[in-house]
Amino acid sequence: MWLGIWALLGLVLGVTIGLNIPLLFPLSFAKYMSVAVLAALDSVFGGIRAAMEDTFDHTIFITGFFSNALLAAGLAFVGERLCIDLYLAAVVAFGVRLFQNLAIIRRHLLKK
Amino acid sequence: MKRLMYISVFLVAIVLGLLVTFQFRATSRIAQGVPAGRDQEMAIELSRLEAEKSDSQREINDLNDKLLQATKGQKEALSALRGELTKARVAAGLVAVTGPGIEIILDNPQVMPQTGKASTLFTIRDEDLLRVINELRIAGAEALSINGQRIVATTEIRLAAPFINVNLTRIVPPYHILVIGNPDNLKATMDISGGVVEYLRELGARVEIQTNDQLTAPSYSSGRQ
Repeated sequence: MWLGIWALLGLVLGVTIGLNIPLLFPLSFAKYMSVAVLAALDSVFGGIRAAMEDTFDHTIFITGFFSNALLAAGLAFVGERLCIDLYLAAVVAFGVRLFQNLAIIRRHLLKK
Repeated sequence: MKRLMYISVFLVAIVLGLLVTFQFRATSRIAQGVPAGRDQEMAIELSRLEAEKSDSQREINDLNDKLLQATKGQKEALSALRGELTKARVAAGLVAVTGPGIEIILDNPQVMPQTGKASTLFTIRDEDLLRVINELRIAGAEALSINGQRIVATTEIRLAAPFINVNLTRIVPPYHILVIGNPDNLKATMDISGGVVEYLRELGARVEIQTNDQLTAPSYSSGRQ
């Protein structure tokens, strides 16, 4: 339970910082950012699930978070250059995993 | 171990929150701004308009060149027309003409002091003046005037006894004829033996001929006034 509170707290803090920072990404980055957000979200859900299964490793968690985000953004970028909507691959892959993770988390919560 | 887990989740959650907010702000800006693909459309239109502009620019240059040539031709034509107009005005007698020429003075026979009568009965008539003018014309006279009356195409020289009318104006002797033209030619024509001058002298008229480098024949209109 504490984990969820910590995660929520961090999220609220991040949102507050993000809303108050005058810095803005250029519009052309929005596409890559969107896929990166999806990847990060997937990582967070994966981390919560791992914590519930007591297999959480913070190294894997952190590296997974950043590598997923970077790979997704990179795929979107390369796809743009190649004229293929390659970011769709990231969207589908992370989307499916997101729902799987959510389902497992839900089951863990319900089992308690 | 547990604490590390909390910290890492906390950190990742912060980063995630940042990312999500940035994305929200960026997309809300997109929603306010132009729709996707519009930029490419605009770029295509821009290049098309630029091509059109360069075409138009070329056309402008072309037309400017043509205009320049046309105006150049116009200038020449204008100066040619001006020259023609000046010539026509000289010929019509509308302007005073200045130049070398000769001056002829014709007068009736002198009155003898003793008798109070003329040496002969001869007086200069309109026909004599007409003959003189005619001779001068064939000698290349450019402008003629008698007693300030410019001789033009419509000028009459007519006896209206006891005077002579020129341009509907009475003139009285001595008749003062100004002729603009080549002085040598004019004088030679006047002095030709058996010519009109010799004929008039024989009849007792006084005829004086002087060449002059600078004579001014008055214009027709000023003569009328």
